[in-house]
Amino acid sequence: MSAKIQRLAEVDRIIHEPARLMVVALLAAVKEADFQYLHQSTRLTKGNLSVHLSKLEEAGYIAIEKTFRGKYPLTICRLTERGRGVLNNYRKIIKAAL
Amino acid sequence: MRNSSSLAGSADPNAIARRLMQRAHNRDGLPEIAVGLYFLLASALIYAQVVLPRQSIGFIAAVLTFSLLFPVVCIGSPWTLKWVRRRYLIERVGYVEYEPIGRRQIGFGIMLAVLVVLALFGVVPRLSQPDRWLLAGTGLFGGALMAWCGRLPRFVIGGVVMAATGVFVAFAGVSLQIGFTMLFGFQGLVTLVSGCVVFLRFIRQPIETGE
Repeated sequence: MSAKIQRLAEVDRIIHEPARLMVVALLAAVKEADFQYLHQSTRLTKGNLSVHLSKLEEAGYIAIEKTFRGKYPLTICRLTERGRGVLNNYRKIIKAAL
Repeated sequence: MRNSSSLAGSADPNAIARRLMQRAHNRDGLPEIAVGLYFLLASALIYAQVVLPRQSIGFIAAVLTFSLLFPVVCIGSPWTLKWVRRRYLIERVGYVEYEPIGRRQIGFGIMLAVLVVLALFGVVPRLSQPDRWLLAGTGLFGGALMAWCGRLPRFVIGGVVMAATGVFVAFAGVSLQIGFTMLFGFQGLVTLVSGCVVFLRFIRQPIETGE
């Protein structure tokens, strides 16, 4: 039991932050989503969300593509394989410990 | 904006994603409007079968439309919702591409449908007053399904209203078809009004531009 709890120290700190966990969890459940959908779903402020997306992109957990749909600018976000692996690992550790 | 830590309280990423997506999916009220219209149409078609003379073109059309209504709505409504959102509401709801429906969900849906059919044809006809049980059972099952699928307070209230209406209609002493007309008609009206209120509130919110 104590070993499982000690494994909590191994959780990835980038996705352990609640706002980033929301973003990663959402992106794990969909193929792709744009900035506006993430903003509406998480109810984070745009500035806050933007910072968290940048951190996740820097870590290689999500891929961001900027495009247009007609006149509407789309910032499409997808979870990368690396991000999915880190999330699965996070899920295992948390489930085992709790 | 709310504190993000309260939303991620469960720490299970699957649960967090389900809750956020559920909320996002029902934010504009369009799914409720679609369900409300479906119930009202079903109610009107059942009532048409009561009042129109048998063998008339109207009666046959009502029977055929009613039998096709459920599969057409099941297949057509997700596509229609997606089209409406992308065509008219993309600046408000954003863009999302969902994963295709998984085998587990399809299997669960088939299992539920089989159970309903078994109950409908295997159990209900053997009961003393099958019409009453059918009306009450439809109300209770429909209400439970609505509350479970929606998982938001207004869907739970809608589910309770449907269950109560089903039980009330079952004991009102009306015929099966009139009972279904009342149950679906009332539920359709409640769901449609609720959806329209949510949609109007959603559409009146100012669009925030820029990232």
